[in-house]
Amino acid sequence: MKSIFITFDQSNKDAVLALLDRYNCRGYTFFEQVQGRGSKTGDPHHGSHAWPSMNSAIITIVSDDKVSVLLEKLKELDEEFELLGLRAFVWNIEQCY
Amino acid sequence: MSLYESSVKRPIMTTLCFMAIVLFGVFSFSKLPIDLMPDIETNTIMVFTSYSGASASDIENNVTRPLENTLNSVEHLKHITSDSRENISVVTLEFEFGYDIDDLTNDVRDKLDMVSSALPEGVSTPIIFKFSADMIPILMLTVNAEESMPALYKILDDNVANPLARIDGVGTVSIAGAPQREINIYMDPVKMEAYNIPIETVSNIIASENRNIPGGNFDIGNNTYALRVEGEFESPLQIMDLVVGTHNGANVYLRDIARMVDSTQERAQEAYTNGKQGAMIIVQKQSGGNSVAISEAVKAELPKLQKRLPSDIEINVLVDTSENIILTVNTLTETILYALLFVLLVVFLFLGRWRATVIIGITIPFSLIASFIYLFASGGSINIISLSCLSIAIGNVVDDAIVVLENVTTHIERGSSPKDAAVHGTNEVAVSVIASTLTMLAVFFPLTMVTGMAGVLFKQLGWMMCIIMIVSTVAALSLTPMMCAKMLKLQKKQSRFFKVFYTPIGRALDRLDVWYEKRINWAVRHRWTVLSVCGLLFVGSMALAPGLKSEFFPSNDNGRVSATIEMPLGTRLERSKEVASKLTSMWMERYGKNLEACNYRVGQADEDNAFASMSDNGAHLINFNISFVPASEREIGLEQICDEMRADVKQFPEIARSNIQLGGGGGGMGGQSMATFEIYGYDFETTDRLAKTLADSLRAWNKVTQVNISRSDYQPEYQVEFDREKLAMHGLNLATAATYVRNRYNGALATYYREDGDEYDVKVRYEPESRTSIEDIENILVYTNSGKAVRIKELGKVVQREMPPTIERKDRERIVTVDAVLAAGTVLSEGVEYGNRIIDKMEIPTGIAIQVAGSYEDQQDSNRDLGTLGIIIILLVFIVMASQFESLTYPFIIILSVPFAFCGVILALLLTNTTLSVMSMLGGIMLIGIVVKNGIVLIDYTMLLRERGLGIIQASIRAGRSRLRPVLMTTLTTILGMVPMAVSQGDGAEMWRPLGVSVIGGLTISTIMTLIYVPTMYCVFGGNGVKRRRKLLKKQRALSEYWKENKKEEMLISAKK
Repeated sequence: MKSIFITFDQSNKDAVLALLDRYNCRGYTFFEQVQGRGSKTGDPHHGSHAWPSMNSAIITIVSDDKVSVLLEKLKELDEEFELLGLRAFVWNIEQCY
Repeated sequence: MSLYESSVKRPIMTTLCFMAIVLFGVFSFSKLPIDLMPDIETNTIMVFTSYSGASASDIENNVTRPLENTLNSVEHLKHITSDSRENISVVTLEFEFGYDIDDLTNDVRDKLDMVSSALPEGVSTPIIFKFSADMIPILMLTVNAEESMPALYKILDDNVANPLARIDGVGTVSIAGAPQREINIYMDPVKMEAYNIPIETVSNIIASENRNIPGGNFDIGNNTYALRVEGEFESPLQIMDLVVGTHNGANVYLRDIARMVDSTQERAQEAYTNGKQGAMIIVQKQSGGNSVAISEAVKAELPKLQKRLPSDIEINVLVDTSENIILTVNTLTETILYALLFVLLVVFLFLGRWRATVIIGITIPFSLIASFIYLFASGGSINIISLSCLSIAIGNVVDDAIVVLENVTTHIERGSSPKDAAVHGTNEVAVSVIASTLTMLAVFFPLTMVTGMAGVLFKQLGWMMCIIMIVSTVAALSLTPMMCAKMLKLQKKQSRFFKVFYTPIGRALDRLDVWYEKRINWAVRHRWTVLSVCGLLFVGSMALAPGLKSEFFPSNDNGRVSATIEMPLGTRLERSKEVASKLTSMWMERYGKNLEACNYRVGQADEDNAFASMSDNGAHLINFNISFVPASEREIGLEQICDEMRADVKQFPEIARSNIQLGGGGGGMGGQSMATFEIYGYDFETTDRLAKTLADSLRAWNKVTQVNISRSDYQPEYQVEFDREKLAMHGLNLATAATYVRNRYNGALATYYREDGDEYDVKVRYEPESRTSIEDIENILVYTNSGKAVRIKELGKVVQREMPPTIERKDRERIVTVDAVLAAGTVLSEGVEYGNRIIDKMEIPTGIAIQVAGSYEDQQDSNRDLGTLGIIIILLVFIVMASQFESLTYPFIIILSVPFAFCGVILALLLTNTTLSVMSMLGGIMLIGIVVKNGIVLIDYTMLLRERGLGIIQASIRAGRSRLRPVLMTTLTTILGMVPMAVSQGDGAEMWRPLGVSVIGGLTISTIMTLIYVPTMYCVFGGNGVKRRRKLLKKQRALSEYWKENKKEEMLISAKK
């Protein structure tokens, strides 16, 4: 079991959720509005006067075999609209009930 | 869920909501009346009080003064003026605009109740009369007749006036120039004397013979019958067979001592059209009626009525006020459509996409139509002001939508789906869109609070603009994102047409961006040079300001001229007619095709003619009503025509005074400029002399075409001065003796002759041949109670006198006004200045004051109002901006760009030789909003770039470059929206041209200045801010270093304390 943390520009919400559905990732937690900025590139998403756009974030816990395909698809999505920005990070899940 | 989110998610609901607004709007529009001006409420109440037998000065002292003193305390009173004439006092109360006239009338009535007991005995109860613009006739018809002339009045009354009066909304229909039938009994004084029968007896006998008397009911058997005596004459001829007395035992019949003429009134007004005698029919509307609809209904009815008339009678329309209204409104509607086209063109050029243009364009009708709902609900009308308002609004309503659309497009280009882009893109700009609407509201809302004459004009405009702005913002935040979501998409491949068509435009715009960036780059590095040039420009144009000519309201060319020509008092009708016909033929020849109809009335009007009794009339007065073809179809301006006419009138030495009015004298607005000087003072002689000096000096100036002095000439007249002792000796009193004189000259109204349901006066008087000399008066026989006859010359004497003139007062002081009508091209301020110079040179005795009044006073009032308004608006705008930026400095920079708009206005007015009037000032006030908007756009983006970490100079340059297009776009939409207004040449265009000119001029200059000055100013203030912060930091650092070093010592000191 791995958890994938995906942050993306608000506008990508539908695309990301569609992707999760397509790969049968039923469970997820969705954060409607989060702020942040990339380590290297991309506009900050601060919801401020200077940087008005906002991010959303999703944490989804998936079985190990889905991780690579999901990451691949997410990368494709990111590359299609580079300016929006999308990143995914994977953790191990130690325990759950 | 926010507004834009729900509207993007529910497109059907959004669309239908706006459709509902359109539905309501169109419904309201169909119900709206059309008029030239907003409904200017009545603000004048007149109080008529008669006191028979009193002279002008008696009236002044005993009636007018007590009335004035009491009425002066009525609330909201602006001016109180009065005319004291023989027998009658007329007090006119002028109130401030904007108060309910019914409440004021009640106040006046209460005050009158208080004062009426203090008035002398014999004074009639004061009558209150409300004057309103509705009394101005909306339609004047001329009637030409040949054989039917003698019976014209009856024919017209039965077949035209009565049917017309039945039309919905028509108030009164009066007939002028068609004398009414009258049965005249002309007595021969010699025979009367021989048979010893006075007129009074004859008149009483005629009256008592012409009666129908019911005799009651009586029963015969089972039936009840009515008993009646029917004595009314069946034919006027019966009158002559009456027995009026006996002489030596023989009956004296009326025919023995008199002759009967069954004809028309002796003294009647005659009307001529294009030199031919005829009659006039004057149609007035009911209060609050729709002029255009009424006059259309009347005109539709005319052909039907024409069929019922004898073939020689022809009815034509002389004056149709609705014609001018319709033409004017059509011209203005045309300019609005052009404005719409231009605005859409600008949007298309800048955005380069037809879908975007459609999205922006659709907000225009939605917002504009909403304002009709307000007009309908508030009882307004389609008029110059409300239409100008639409024209102004077209350029402004698109701004919000453009901002939203631009940001949504950016989001789409970044890769968002149109739906998400619409929601998030709108969300990001919603606050600034609302803020910019608030600045516009800060400009237009105070307009709704203006009082006075200008208030009447601006209230409607203010509310309309506020509503349009609010609706356009709501549309920009709901309809626009919804349509963006539906219609916009990422253009992955541009069409060929687009490439061919738009590439050069895009390149040109890019080059403009680069060029502007370079200029800004230079400017921000030479701040002080730039600022001093700006300052110089401002000072320079302000120095030109005094050269600006001002007037209250631009005059309106409605193709009508009214002229009153006054011959010396006592001139016979024939002489007046001769002059009038000479003038008519002169004018008809000169203006030829341009002249539509030249009509004049001359002579004494009948007392029961509602229209004629409102204006002065008499044998020496000629009233002209001249109509020309619409302004668009003739080259010569109405002002010029008036001036030429005045010159013509001057050629007739026999004309005592003349008053030629542009626009047909239809109320205070739109006439030719007239400088009015008021001379206050008690002494008639001194004030007369001063008025004459002033009038003569004004007349000598070539820019004045006509000068009128309000105080009328002393009237020559004959008076019968009775010797009261002699009267008493014969057992007579003055009233009885005077009645004898009156009955012989004016005639005694014996009875009414009835025929076919109409009544005609039967008048008994001396035959005309016996009413031609003073001896005739002196020989009148007065019968005493004992039946003895005494001649007038035994009771007193007939003398020639000059009657004291009407005593006019204003604000409880005697006054003479001198009106100077200025030649075309001369403006009010110039005339007033000239007059003031004359007054300064004159020697004015103490107790006498001369001041400027009239439309100049109105102008000054409204200038002051507008000045205050300007300050309030600027402060409000500042408040809105300061709250938005959370700063006091940046709004200050933006506010400082407003004066450049005024520079532009002044320059534009000077260059186009346009006057500073209420309309151009209105333009100036609106500019505040638009100029500030541009400043906000620039400063806001500069601040954003600085927050993103750019330096001051870089931020200013980059912001300037990136915001150039939005600024140019808002400016161009507004300017091009106003161009049709500024260049329109149609009917009525002279009214709104100043508005267009001032907005275009102001906006052009201010935009150019804003684009250079605002970034420069920002650098100055921003630089100072940075320096200040650095200094503060340095201080703090020094302080903390000092504290670190001397910690122990400082702590000790504080411990000691």
